[in-house]
Amino acid sequence: MLQRILNEFESASGGMSVNELGRRLDVERSALEGMIDYLVRKGRLQDDKAAAAAMMCSSGGCGTSCPGAHKCPFVVETPRTFSIVQNNLNLTRRKL
Amino acid sequence: MPTHAMAYTRKVTLVDYGREVENEIGTLEEIIEANSALQARYNSRWLAIKLLEEDSDIVDKVKQADGARLLSVARKSIAHLREVYGDDVDTVIADRRYGWINGLVRETVHRTAVDRQTISDRIDKVVTNRVLGIPIFIALMWVVFKFTTDVAGPYLDWVDGVIGGPLTNWVVAILGLTGLGGGWVESLFVDGIIAGVGGVLVFVPVMMSLYFALAVLEDSGYMARAAFVMDRVMHALGLHGKSFLPMIVGFGCTVPAIYATRTLANKKDRILTALLVPFMSCGARLPVYVLFASIFFPGKSGVVIFWLYMLGIITAMVLGVVLKNTLFKDKEQSPFVMELPPYRMPTLKGIWFHIWERTGAFVNKAWTLIMVTSIIIWVLLAIPVGGEGSFADTDVAGSAFAAVSGGIAPALKPLGFGDWQASGALVTGFVAKEVVVGTMAQVYGVEEAEEEAEPTTFFEDVGEIVTSFIGATGDTLKSLPLIVGINLFEGEEEGELTALMAAVEDGFEATSGGHGALAAVAFMVFVLIYTPCMVAIAAERQELGDKWTLASVFGQLALAWLMAFVIFQGGKLLGLG
Repeated sequence: MLQRILNEFESASGGMSVNELGRRLDVERSALEGMIDYLVRKGRLQDDKAAAAAMMCSSGGCGTSCPGAHKCPFVVETPRTFSIVQNNLNLTRRKL
Repeated sequence: MPTHAMAYTRKVTLVDYGREVENEIGTLEEIIEANSALQARYNSRWLAIKLLEEDSDIVDKVKQADGARLLSVARKSIAHLREVYGDDVDTVIADRRYGWINGLVRETVHRTAVDRQTISDRIDKVVTNRVLGIPIFIALMWVVFKFTTDVAGPYLDWVDGVIGGPLTNWVVAILGLTGLGGGWVESLFVDGIIAGVGGVLVFVPVMMSLYFALAVLEDSGYMARAAFVMDRVMHALGLHGKSFLPMIVGFGCTVPAIYATRTLANKKDRILTALLVPFMSCGARLPVYVLFASIFFPGKSGVVIFWLYMLGIITAMVLGVVLKNTLFKDKEQSPFVMELPPYRMPTLKGIWFHIWERTGAFVNKAWTLIMVTSIIIWVLLAIPVGGEGSFADTDVAGSAFAAVSGGIAPALKPLGFGDWQASGALVTGFVAKEVVVGTMAQVYGVEEAEEEAEPTTFFEDVGEIVTSFIGATGDTLKSLPLIVGINLFEGEEEGELTALMAAVEDGFEATSGGHGALAAVAFMVFVLIYTPCMVAIAAERQELGDKWTLASVFGQLALAWLMAFVIFQGGKLLGLG
């Protein structure tokens, strides 16, 4: 099941919604979210938004634009995206 | 009986983990059953699985229960299974478990295709449709900017009136009482701080309207759809779809947008996106657009601002395609999955939180960075160059600021705004884009600060503030139907331009040879394209290094000049403006 998710990620030509992925795999969205979270925990997928937030914190956010702000208030809300962690790409390909 | 008890006591396994894993589980179970301490405490199958999953808590507990042999066998089992599957054993186990869950759901839950479609799915069928998605995105952007300018207009006039009238009078009166009136201190406060910071704070209602509209789009879940729709466009153009996510962040502020490019794994995509992000018009540029669009395109400012935002997106895309096919040639596309959250009805509390947080940051910036810049500009305006006048008592046209800005002005002459005031505003705009309007309020305001006003009492001022606020609220309510094209102001006289607006209009008409509107468009496009601010440059330097940062800054300047030139000279040739 988890491998099928990674395979779908690999074969997708661009962006795809979680709903679309669920339809392709014939998996309930709620179950699919759990599986994606597992793959993120295992380091196979990257939660891009969380990664970006962590990077922004380490970079000092907006700097002088909003001094003292823990989270830049000007950051417009964007959706969570998940992508294959490049280090694991070869592993996934090998298994295919 | 609980499901797990049924599984373990009757030795019926709910999940079959496959022959290899089951063999290893069996081996471990035998050892566990031989250990009375472990057997009394744990179900043997559950414990065997946990050991194969390398659960650190369980490993510690087994160690304490004299389970050295069990752990040694478990390690061998894990090594064997890793060799067989070429993957972590816990992943193999989780894979089987999720497969079982999925199978169970399919066996037991029967839903028709219609049942499966939530309201969000049905809305998404239209909103993210391949054909309708883009027109809907464009239409919503148009509504956002129409709302931002039409609704905020009356409050903008009100804040301008309060800052330029009562507030300035009170400061002058207090300085007079303390014996500091009439000198350079009064000039510093009135012509420096109030003109510079106040010139920016005037736009707080506009920013609040924009933040309101953005909050509605974010909290309703539409912003995620916008990213999804634009991803398709980016992908079709050969660009990385995920590039549009930092770009959407760029509508708020360029700095976090540049940092957000780190999510792109491919270095070429990362550099390319960071180079394109500054073309997304950040909130700080909005006061400049509102000022110029209100002066030169009264009644149509929302449409003008909408097209400026669109021009930013189009410029980024065109440049992106050119660079992707030349300097950043790379066929590799890294796929990704985007989570589209269900649509929600935004709550007033949530929207207010967004508005409050963002407006607070905007005001905070005005009182820190912009105030310091305003004071520096005031000092430069107060220093006489050429021997006429003394400090803070000189014609601004003969000041150090005018001398420095005037040196750049000839380069901007072909663009229609080649005077020292506009040049100076663009130079200070490197600090932050809000400073452009603050500087204009200082350089133009200084010249017409001599207006005589009837003296009023404190209570008369407060009464005027309250009355004009009620008037502004009434006008705002009347302006709401403008969004759908119904003009309730028809027949009423156009509002008079403020002193600053009139001065800017005169200045642009003079420098452009009577083509003020064209020069204004060229100026706004220049502001849209050239470097967002010094913090953005620092962020670029951190992310891209010196070489690309220099290329970015000079590239943006060159492109800004070129686009403004084409607009002004081309417009003149075509007889526009």
